[in-house]
Amino acid sequence: MTMNFKQFEEKLLMYGADVRKWPKNIRWSALKTLESSPELQKLVKNEERFEGVLNTRKFEEPSKDLAGRIVAAALPRKKKAQRNFGVFFSDMLSEFSLSRRALTAVSVSLIFILIVGFTIGYSTPSRYASAEQYETHLEDFLNYEGDVL
Amino acid sequence: MAIKLLHLDDESLISQIQEESREAFATLVNRHSKRFYRIAYRLVSSKDDAEDIVQDAFLKLWNRPNLWDPGRGTKFTTWFYRAVINLCLDHRKKKKLVNISEGIEFADEKPGADILFDLHQKQALLERLICELPERQQLAINLCFYEGLSNNEAAQIIGVRVKALQSLIMRAKTTLKYKVERYLGGGHDDHEF
Repeated sequence: MTMNFKQFEEKLLMYGADVRKWPKNIRWSALKTLESSPELQKLVKNEERFEGVLNTRKFEEPSKDLAGRIVAAALPRKKKAQRNFGVFFSDMLSEFSLSRRALTAVSVSLIFILIVGFTIGYSTPSRYASAEQYETHLEDFLNYEGDVL
Repeated sequence: MAIKLLHLDDESLISQIQEESREAFATLVNRHSKRFYRIAYRLVSSKDDAEDIVQDAFLKLWNRPNLWDPGRGTKFTTWFYRAVINLCLDHRKKKKLVNISEGIEFADEKPGADILFDLHQKQALLERLICELPERQQLAINLCFYEGLSNNEAAQIIGVRVKALQSLIMRAKTTLKYKVERYLGGGHDDHEF
């Protein structure tokens, strides 16, 4: 099966001037059509010239060390922080470089201070006014009819 | 070890990269950095910017290798082309393309007039003509003509059907032919495209 002029022109734009590189299923019929048509041959020549112009497009090669640079920039990945209290606690230990004994002493003294604080707080009567003292006696005020003269 | 890695396909290398293998990462970068540099260069027209974009893309892959999901059935290169292209398009939006053909005057008033361009000017003009194409037509011509990718792969990268991709190529080439003939052709019969 051969293809018509229009079909050939479309494929020429799609697949380029080198008909031997066209997809296998259309290559044979394209070559057959091309062989018998001087018009199409001229079209292919023009396409070759056009592609020649496109190929003059500027291109700069990459630096030779591009790959090396990329690899060098890849730092060891950070591990995801674990949301585990035990891990957090041991991290803290290592962060502040406290020995277990020192840490126990700090903890015990903190607990002691807390207990003393609570004891003092509960044994001392509060100086705050009770809710009753804060009553506005609004009803009395509204019902007050004033002094009768 | 390194020799073994050379024989691994991209997908296997990525699974090793997920295990933090720097050797696998180096193999992948050595295998593909030039190819992705080429498309980046075509889109941003600057060696330094293209290199930075490729580096950025690979480092993103190194830091988050799980971004590529082989379960989706996309080849690594197809997926990574898309990633690099997106970075290039973002880059172009941020940094408005410098008018590369500064100083070149189009022969608008006399289409087809003989103008003696030197190679540098011709290249700059061609670059400008390509940059003036709609974004997807630019991608189509860069991927298919300059990178030699198959229509199928280019269509997957751009995210269109093969028919649509072919239509993009045809429109891009037709526009370019007209403009190249108009500005560079000189009006001779043998320059007719």
